[in-house]
Amino acid sequence: MPDSKRFLHPETIARISRLEVRARHIVEGFLSGIHRSPFFGQSIEFRQHREYAPGDDLRHIDWKVWAKQDRYYIKQFEEDTNLRSALLVDVSGSMQYGSGPLNKFDYAATLAVSIAYLLLRQQDAVGCLAFDEAVRNRVPLHTKRGHLNSIIQALAVSEPARKTDMLSILRGAVETYPRRGLMILVSDLFVERESLFAGLRLLRQMGHDVVVFHVLDDDELDFPFNGATRFEGLELPAHLNCNPRALREGYLDALSRFLHDVRHGCARQGVDYTLVRTSQPLDVALTAYLNHRLAVQSRN
Amino acid sequence: MLPFVHAPLLWGLALLGVPILIHLINRLRHRRVNWAAMEFLLASQKKSRNWILFKQLLLLLLRVMAVAAIVLMLAQPHNQWAALLSHAKTHHIVLVDDSYSMSDRTSDSSALDRAKEVVLRLADQAARADNPQVFTLLRFSEAGAGDRNAQPDMLQEPLTGGSRERITSIVASWKPTQLASGPYEALEAIERLPHQSGSEERVVYLISDFRANQWDDPAEIREALARLEQQGAHLELVDCVETAHANLGIADLRITSGIRAAGVPLWMTVTVTNFASAPARDVSVTLAEDGLARPAVVIEQIPAGKSVTRRFPVVFAAAGQHRVSAQLESDAIAADNVRYAVVEVADTSPVLVIDGDPKASDATFLSTALSPGGKVKSGVSPLIESPRFLRDHALDGYDAVFLLNFERLDVAEIEALEAYVRAGGGVGIFLGELNQADFLNKHLYRDGAGLFPLPLVGVTELLVDRTEEVPDVEVTDHPIFSVFAGERNSFIGSILVEHYFAAAKNWTPASDAETQVIARLRNGAPLAVEHRMGEGRVVAFLTKAGPGETPQGSWNNWGRNNPSFVVAMLELEAYLAASRHATVSSLVGAPLATTMPLAQYQPQVRFVLPADQGGGTLTVDAEAAGTDQTATLTDTHAAGIYEAQWTLRAGGEIVPRQFALNVDPREGNLQRLDSAGLAQRLPGIKYLYSQAQDVAYDGERLSGPNLGRFFMWLLIGVLLAEQILAYSASYHPVRRGAVH
Repeated sequence: MPDSKRFLHPETIARISRLEVRARHIVEGFLSGIHRSPFFGQSIEFRQHREYAPGDDLRHIDWKVWAKQDRYYIKQFEEDTNLRSALLVDVSGSMQYGSGPLNKFDYAATLAVSIAYLLLRQQDAVGCLAFDEAVRNRVPLHTKRGHLNSIIQALAVSEPARKTDMLSILRGAVETYPRRGLMILVSDLFVERESLFAGLRLLRQMGHDVVVFHVLDDDELDFPFNGATRFEGLELPAHLNCNPRALREGYLDALSRFLHDVRHGCARQGVDYTLVRTSQPLDVALTAYLNHRLAVQSRN
Repeated sequence: MLPFVHAPLLWGLALLGVPILIHLINRLRHRRVNWAAMEFLLASQKKSRNWILFKQLLLLLLRVMAVAAIVLMLAQPHNQWAALLSHAKTHHIVLVDDSYSMSDRTSDSSALDRAKEVVLRLADQAARADNPQVFTLLRFSEAGAGDRNAQPDMLQEPLTGGSRERITSIVASWKPTQLASGPYEALEAIERLPHQSGSEERVVYLISDFRANQWDDPAEIREALARLEQQGAHLELVDCVETAHANLGIADLRITSGIRAAGVPLWMTVTVTNFASAPARDVSVTLAEDGLARPAVVIEQIPAGKSVTRRFPVVFAAAGQHRVSAQLESDAIAADNVRYAVVEVADTSPVLVIDGDPKASDATFLSTALSPGGKVKSGVSPLIESPRFLRDHALDGYDAVFLLNFERLDVAEIEALEAYVRAGGGVGIFLGELNQADFLNKHLYRDGAGLFPLPLVGVTELLVDRTEEVPDVEVTDHPIFSVFAGERNSFIGSILVEHYFAAAKNWTPASDAETQVIARLRNGAPLAVEHRMGEGRVVAFLTKAGPGETPQGSWNNWGRNNPSFVVAMLELEAYLAASRHATVSSLVGAPLATTMPLAQYQPQVRFVLPADQGGGTLTVDAEAAGTDQTATLTDTHAAGIYEAQWTLRAGGEIVPRQFALNVDPREGNLQRLDSAGLAQRLPGIKYLYSQAQDVAYDGERLSGPNLGRFFMWLLIGVLLAEQILAYSASYHPVRRGAVH
């Protein structure tokens, strides 16, 4: 494991208490790990010429240079910084579950802030919306570095409630961020599936690119419980005394169906879907995000 | 209820509640988990609630069964329903071979010692059984005691706490007998035991050394075993011997020839049998006369499985009964290494010579040959009489009767002679000029029913070419002529026969060996013929005894200056007398009977027992029968010389009569049968064969199988099922990420 990646593990992250420091730590470690030069894309600020190579986009050929020298050169610009990204972070009661160093909420918040830090570092505009049963906090889009603190404060929600209607929440997001941009939803998605898919459809209809980080704990995915256990709902008011060994198979079946539905529902809406375990290093999610950025840029 | 080996362990069934208790405690001791994905958990619970309940109950049941199986496995129940219903008790009938072959020793213990160990082991193991056990102990010697009431050492005695000591003391008193008892009498004896059919399980143990000679003709034993099997008895044959040892035994000791008179040499023979599979060399037989040692007989070699007979002379100075014993060096079996004989000699051997010729020239001639007088003592005391003497006097007192040259005998005389022969007497006949072939054929031969051996034609002259150097007489190896055997004897060869009685044409001796020609003339005609009748024997010479002149001239020259005549006549007399003194060899265990006139002897008879029988004396009351009285000693379990002491009513003088009892030499044959040999001889009989060290009371076979093993397998099965069920109902983290 490269040294840089060592710092991206949840065990390491959990030792850093401040979200801002966490984000910087993660992003710097992440970027040094991938050794990539700044991104090239469409921008106003010219950077350099480069000789054409087969496969380059013909739109980027500098025809003036060709007219003068009869040779193909590609014009390269500093990356465009006008990306607008909104972080939609689930802070409901179900996100409080965690078996590892970070519970789902911690993980989601760390991921969101890390993305915000990354975006702000590139002078992109970032906003944030925290929700449970309704939108609890909104942070408008900004490109200032100091904006990160606002986002961090917005994520601090006391007495999280049960989330119910995802459609209304996403509708609220659309209202908050009306201009087309990137919507990053970080949640465990324990909601009505129809309302979730309706909300995602609305986002897409409004022209947003949507990325879903589906955050789940290892326990929720593996259900490793043994012995008599009383399960009490974090959101639902139900409880269940059972031998979890006997219920495991049925539970995993139901969970598989749920994940399958979500994955296919997202795919149908053109939504990028990534399932992240809270035990996974943060770079997995960041890589997924950056891949999405590249894909969006190539589409543009 | 099933019978249990360890019934107190059944208290362990109280542990059946433990799995249920653990289950209930586990239901109370649950941990709390605040859970987000309740939706899926509730869906799972709704879907499989009934199946889960069923599996939980099944798991609980399996655990309860596992505890029950452990307890029952340790308690070891027996499936004894059938036994409980039909056989309340087990009757062990133990038949123990105590014949003298059981004294055969391997290392430190004899076969009988091993049989004793088997009996004690069986008793110990049977005592631990759950159902009542009854013991019957019977030795072969008791079963074959002759009288029909065998006396078992134990007869249907229940096994109790004190039985061990009782059986120990019983078997401690057992010693190998000198009998040759076989298993048949024992099997027959237990068939007569009262048998409560259906109420008892019978196990018959035949503990023996299974010597081959006792099983040569196993039909009787097989039938007895088959009958027991039909009665529902279980048969177990227990072999106490593993290998057959070499053994030598004295098979016979008897007088063969000679005149039984004091001071006259007698010939005895001793026969030694080698029962081993290898030849025996330089076998020394120690002899004793009246307790005094005499030169031993050494046999250079006895081939394997063969017998060798050696002759030796004995001379008894005084008249009366004399003891002779022969003894071998010690080997595997001691009982057959010694053999006893009692030889009775008189002062003289009285012989009656009947001559039909009033001049009695032949009688005189024969008497002179039998008793020459002077310093030479032949031991024979001849008395010359006319045929009338036969009618008027008892012949019992004579060792032999000679009939010479008689014209005729009346019916009474013939009957007296024939009665004498049938009772064991010997008659020698020499014909002569007075004899008539018709009379002999009609009254003495009587188509083979009379005492004369053959039908005759008449007097014939031996017409031969005298220039040929061929002896007139050819003798066989008959005892009378055995002294002349071996090489051509000039004395026999010099006999000339002029006249003789020719046998009927086409007469040949019957094939039953009752009649045989023991000497022939050179023309093949019979000269001397022996005929056996009843216990006695008749030897007829078809020529004259004396060489005297007759109207036909001299019949032969045998008696004239030919020493072989004297020798042959003495041998003839001894041969004829021998049948009256036949060595009757009584076997150990057979009743010993002695008879004396009622008028002369007191009815109380004192028997002096041999040392092996414990020594001492035993007084028996004689039973009167007519003018005689007979005393019978039944307790004759040891070989040796027994002496019956009769007391004269007048004067109180004691008259001793001695008897020799010997072991049955066949029992010394230690060749044995293995399991295959037994199986071959007992086809169709269901039995269990085992070596002494392996035998054990298989209570399981009788009282139903021990179910402990069944419960062990049940436990394994239940535990396996429980593990599989528990595995299927539990979480086993094989790899991370069961769901991606």
